Amino acid sequence: MILTQRRICDEVQNGNIILDPFCVGQLNPNSYNYRLAPVIARRTGEGDTTNIQWEELTVGPEGFLLEPRRLYLGLTEEIIGSRRYTTTLLGRSSIGRLGLFLNVTADLGHVGSASRWTLELKVVQPLRIYPRMLIGQVAFWGNRGASIDYCGRYNGDLHWASSRDGSLGA
Amino acid sequence: MILTGSEIKRAVYDGDIIIEPFSHAQVGPNSYDFRLGNRCKTYVGEQLDCAIENRTRAVPFGEQGLLLRPDKVYLFNTHEKMGSQRFVPIIRGRSSAGRLGIFINITADLIDIGSINQWTLQLHVVEPVTVYPGMLIGQVTFWVPQGEIVLYTGKYGSLLSPVASLSHRDFTNGTHRNACH
Repeated sequence: MILTQRRICDEVQNGNIILDPFCVGQLNPNSYNYRLAPVIARRTGEGDTTNIQWEELTVGPEGFLLEPRRLYLGLTEEIIGSRRYTTTLLGRSSIGRLGLFLNVTADLGHVGSASRWTLELKVVQPLRIYPRMLIGQVAFWGNRGASIDYCGRYNGDLHWASSRDGSLGA
Repeated sequence: MILTGSEIKRAVYDGDIIIEPFSHAQVGPNSYDFRLGNRCKTYVGEQLDCAIENRTRAVPFGEQGLLLRPDKVYLFNTHEKMGSQRFVPIIRGRSSAGRLGIFINITADLIDIGSINQWTLQLHVVEPVTVYPGMLIGQVTFWVPQGEIVLYTGKYGSLLSPVASLSHRDFTNGTHRNACH
């Protein structure tokens, strides 16, 4: 079951959902709007999956122009997660209408993890984005069954993280 | 929990789900197949900006269809007026559309509970594809919420679909900078 805004708000207060910082004004009927942290990483060259080089850029108030056919990594400003509920990450329709993907297929978070989420940004047309803008949303889902806390390779990230799956290159 | 096709039918009869027009033949095991509407908009400029109003123009869209190009965002209405005050809709493409490389939404698949309208689809194609008004293009699923329901009262509610991004309003009404911290 997907949580309503009232339940998300209650569970933040109860400590069962982490949204930090939290602002009631960012709640939607069934989700919470997150902001874009002011750093963007982009690939600097060709490479196989075990050896991709990234360049990190700080985005100022003038914004940053995303170009089509490129992959950028971004980061949520908020630390997001829950030990009780499963998180899914999606974009806002206001931003989807401008052609910005916030993730590449992988929208499912791990119950038990809390981190600044790495965003996989891709645009259809060139698009200027701004630091701290409301860029996407997260939804929370009830689980069935005992949960096993996530202790994987991305847990606790407070910085954007490129792929750590060395097996992709095998 | 996701509603089954028979529960979707029952909710439509009970008025808990709005799908107009509604056809039994479009009900699937856990979803309802919806059609592409007959209105299309694209942005006038190539380069877009989240902080300003990006002008759009209506694109003629008739029986001969429209060839979509990979480098543009296309906004279409759904043929059906859809929504619910009791269940949360989530949309996605039909696999038949996906196999042609057609995205029908761009990351945002969650429809706010209480948003009852023709919805705006964000079409994007990987390779050039021609689409036609009235074709079955996507599916909507309905999910049971947990907690007290607060209905959508947002900025897209009463406008004629397709509606271009109103992201710029976040920058002019203070939402962008407003923070509780």
